[in-house]
Amino acid sequence: MTLDEAVWGALNEAAALYRGNPRATNWLGHQLERFAEPVRIAVAGQQKSGKSTLVNAIVGEQIAPIELSDGTQVPTWYRDGAPPRASLVTRNGAAQDVPVDRVDRRLRIDLRSWPPPQVERISVDWPSRALRGATLIDTPACPPSAAERLAREADAVLYLTRHLHGTDTQSLESLQHPPLASAGPVNAILVLSHADELGASRIDALSAAKRVARRYRADVQVSPLCQNVVAVAGLLAHTARTLREHEFGALSALAGTPRAALDGALLSADRFAGTDFPAAVSQEIRQELLNRFGVFGVRLAVTLIRTGCHNQAALTAELVQRSGLAELRESIGQCFTERREVLKARSALLALEDVLRMEPHPGAARLTAHLERVLASAHEFRELRLTAALQCGRTTLPDGLDLEAQRLLGAAGTGVHARLGVAEAATGSELRQLAVDVVDRWRVQAENPLFTARQRQAAATVVRSCEGMVARLVAERG
Amino acid sequence: MTAPPWLELLDDTIRACAAHARPDLAQRLRRQRARLLDPALHILVIGESGQGKSQLINALVNAPVCPVGDDLTTTVPTFVRHAESPGATLVLDPAALTPRTATGALPALRRVPVPIDEIPRQVGRRSGAHRDAELVSAEIGIPRKLLAAGLVLIDTPASGHPHTRPAVDSLAALDQADAVLLVSDATHELSDTELTLLRRVAATCPNILVVLSKIDLSPRWRQVAERNRARLDSNGLPVTLVPASATLRLEATRTGDAALNQESGFPNLIGLLHQEMTGKPDVLARRSVAVVGGSALAQLVVTLREQQAASDSSPASAALADRGDVQRAIDELRRRSTRWQTMLADDMADLVSDVEHDMRDRTRKILREVDRVFDDADPVLSWDAFEDWLAEHLADAADTNFAWLVERSRWIADRLAQYFPGRPGGETSAARLVFPEDLTGGVGALERPRLERFTAGQKAFTALRNSYGGVLMFGLITSLAGMPLLNAISLGAGAAFGGKGIKDEADSRLKRRQAAAKAAAQRHVDDFFLAVSKDSRDTIRRVQRTLRDHFTALAEELQQALVEAATEARRAALTEAAQQERRQRQAQQGVAELVALHQRVQSLAGQQAAPQHHGSLEISA
Repeated sequence: MTLDEAVWGALNEAAALYRGNPRATNWLGHQLERFAEPVRIAVAGQQKSGKSTLVNAIVGEQIAPIELSDGTQVPTWYRDGAPPRASLVTRNGAAQDVPVDRVDRRLRIDLRSWPPPQVERISVDWPSRALRGATLIDTPACPPSAAERLAREADAVLYLTRHLHGTDTQSLESLQHPPLASAGPVNAILVLSHADELGASRIDALSAAKRVARRYRADVQVSPLCQNVVAVAGLLAHTARTLREHEFGALSALAGTPRAALDGALLSADRFAGTDFPAAVSQEIRQELLNRFGVFGVRLAVTLIRTGCHNQAALTAELVQRSGLAELRESIGQCFTERREVLKARSALLALEDVLRMEPHPGAARLTAHLERVLASAHEFRELRLTAALQCGRTTLPDGLDLEAQRLLGAAGTGVHARLGVAEAATGSELRQLAVDVVDRWRVQAENPLFTARQRQAAATVVRSCEGMVARLVAERG
Repeated sequence: MTAPPWLELLDDTIRACAAHARPDLAQRLRRQRARLLDPALHILVIGESGQGKSQLINALVNAPVCPVGDDLTTTVPTFVRHAESPGATLVLDPAALTPRTATGALPALRRVPVPIDEIPRQVGRRSGAHRDAELVSAEIGIPRKLLAAGLVLIDTPASGHPHTRPAVDSLAALDQADAVLLVSDATHELSDTELTLLRRVAATCPNILVVLSKIDLSPRWRQVAERNRARLDSNGLPVTLVPASATLRLEATRTGDAALNQESGFPNLIGLLHQEMTGKPDVLARRSVAVVGGSALAQLVVTLREQQAASDSSPASAALADRGDVQRAIDELRRRSTRWQTMLADDMADLVSDVEHDMRDRTRKILREVDRVFDDADPVLSWDAFEDWLAEHLADAADTNFAWLVERSRWIADRLAQYFPGRPGGETSAARLVFPEDLTGGVGALERPRLERFTAGQKAFTALRNSYGGVLMFGLITSLAGMPLLNAISLGAGAAFGGKGIKDEADSRLKRRQAAAKAAAQRHVDDFFLAVSKDSRDTIRRVQRTLRDHFTALAEELQQALVEAATEARRAALTEAAQQERRQRQAQQGVAELVALHQRVQSLAGQQAAPQHHGSLEISA
């Protein structure tokens, strides 16, 4: 029985058990629905950390933020769906459709008739390929204390920060749900969201930000709290994906001006938007460019056009690549979308545990036991637990074996290719040969007399993962 | 030249702190005093990571002296001050890495001069880079007009960053600062954590400037500045906000572009710093004294009032407690004396019955042994040996019994002594018991019973009497066969009958002798038992009497002592109440003096529109 089926079974069993209890039935119904949905990813962080901008960048359209009539925000859910529509959930749980409008390429929702304190959350259906694999939740700035609630609603979290601060690590810590901490995987990615502002926005700010991210990835204080650290220039990524023709034209005009003249004007935002300007670009457009790109974005775009990106598509591609968005999307894929099954199972088990605790039922003992069995025996959880242990150094393996173990456990992606660390082009027979070799090698490690019991156990878990791979490959051939 | 009023007030405050036994506060104020008298102006540059603190300093002095990087770069406070020629010093603390020496002495800080261009590498390094000592701070001297007047800029590690060591957190250096520059970049508004930091700083150092850095990067820096000002005002922090851009300033000094320099906001910032500098001896010092002295005085008053409140609620508490203790001790003694007397009586009664039972048990065992012996043995033959044996066993029994009695008596004495803990008399009570040397003196010797012997004549007579019947019986029977009356058969039968008669007689005599011997032994043992038990009773009674007398005397002694203590306690309580009253009067006087001083300090701040701080207590009211 796969984890999927086990959890699905447990949910249905619980639903049958609580048939007479409307509140629990309602809740379990939600969970069953949720179990079938795409992964829910919450975008969280302190105020002004760039949450809405990042949502826009990932979706590639200007759909966030949605503000209430008093300028405050509530959690906003973005799901794939056509035609665009929005519904609003009030505090007492009632859902209500609200009119949606697209003005000036932006999503506009009329919320004037809704008093802000009544609104619990807003749910937006938007046709987008980026949302097909995951539902995004744009959250208002949350204090560390609210992070735990967030962790319940979402299956995974993108945590945004400008510069890492003590409150950020606290928030990340409280995302690790305590009762299931040992069972649950680390389900967060730390995003250094204002990568373009690093080092006074000099031209290599993005590569510097990537270096910082790499350093945090290996940091003992940060690495146990998240699966990956990615540097992203959110504003730049969003602008690049929505680059317009006249903008490209203006940038090309800028790139055409002599460098000496332009450099002085690019010194500061004030100078760039000022009246005295060397190039034939109107002040209005310059102001718009500034708002859309930021000083760094303008500098980078001009440099890129000068060095070879002569058409709009090339510039977009280069900017998206440099902004770190590609890396972020890849990371979301590896850590969240590909692990959908496990993340969903974790959320469902958490919810089940809640129901069993809040609504004690005489017949629940069997279900509780079942739940514990699933938690303890699911190999996917064991893989994640071991990965986390290896990443934060709770378990160590000598001589680079730990890196290989992490890869085989799926830390770099759960596909067979990623696990074996080979190119996508490798054929079935090559993969099979490689997988069998790896199994043999790790079987030896699992009985290595020089290892401690814990290390042998870790090796045994790796063997089990590899065997699973071999079985899958053999089945594919058959 | 007379001392300025703030100095006088500060000295008064220091004296007050010392007088009210707060050397810690006095020490802190003395440090502040030294700092205020020092013509140099220490400016602490604080802020969260990546706001551009180090770059701001670099732009101020127009030299890359502080390390600038992409992540947390500054790891220790760095002091930038004026010097004739550029130079730098690292301050290392060997104690941070080596454990304290046995004497508890801390090794002194070590100062290592390094080339100035080495500083970014050294300060930017992660801690632990120096093998035997930890870097605690760095000092940089550089010839600059701005610094020549005595300005010292202190670059600090980012506050709130998870990697900042708490020991080097910028707040630790706050004591040494005349003014604080909080750097916050213009791409975002002041965060909650920054406001918290500002509030904490304002409680110690009232001279704060907020620098809005990186205005070159943000098109909306004017809105951000407006919002920040509003936010600071609504939080009760009336501090000046200065927009500035280090990048523009560095570029301007590189190209000599005066307009760009103006745009960078640095002339404005430097002007403000100069203003602080010239105002230091008066405005700044007055403001500092008002805040620092005010908070110290407030602490003193609070402590004093608490003490007062505590003493009001429980006057002469210590003496009262003493009296209570004494009374409790007397009650306890009374309770105990009833208990020990009962226990003595009970124990002694138990002892009597136990000892008697033991003795009876032993004598009965002896008697059973006697019976067993005389069932077989002939007393005539073994009497002498038996007599010795009996005497010995009885003496043994009496000795053992007596020893047990002595032991039990001592045990009882010890048990009683436990009712008088801590009294030396208790332990010696057992030793005072006097026991008689010998308990068996009063019993007479074993009386020898009359033991009939079976003499030869008696034997002959018995034999003759029995053989007569035998001869006659068999003679008559054989005479029927025509044999004479006395023939071989009848004579044989006579002899056999005679022999049997002798044997029977001997047996019955033996039995009689044995019975007599048993009876004699029984009598003797009874006598012995009677005598011994009388003696033990007497002994036990004597013991009881001794113990009772001893412990009664002890209890009386104790009671006497306690009564004296009670009297003493009463006297002490009276004295203490008087002292308490005197102290209270003094405390009230002290509070009044402090409040007056506080008013003066506050008025010092009032001479100019000094900010009101949450830290200052409304104690003058």
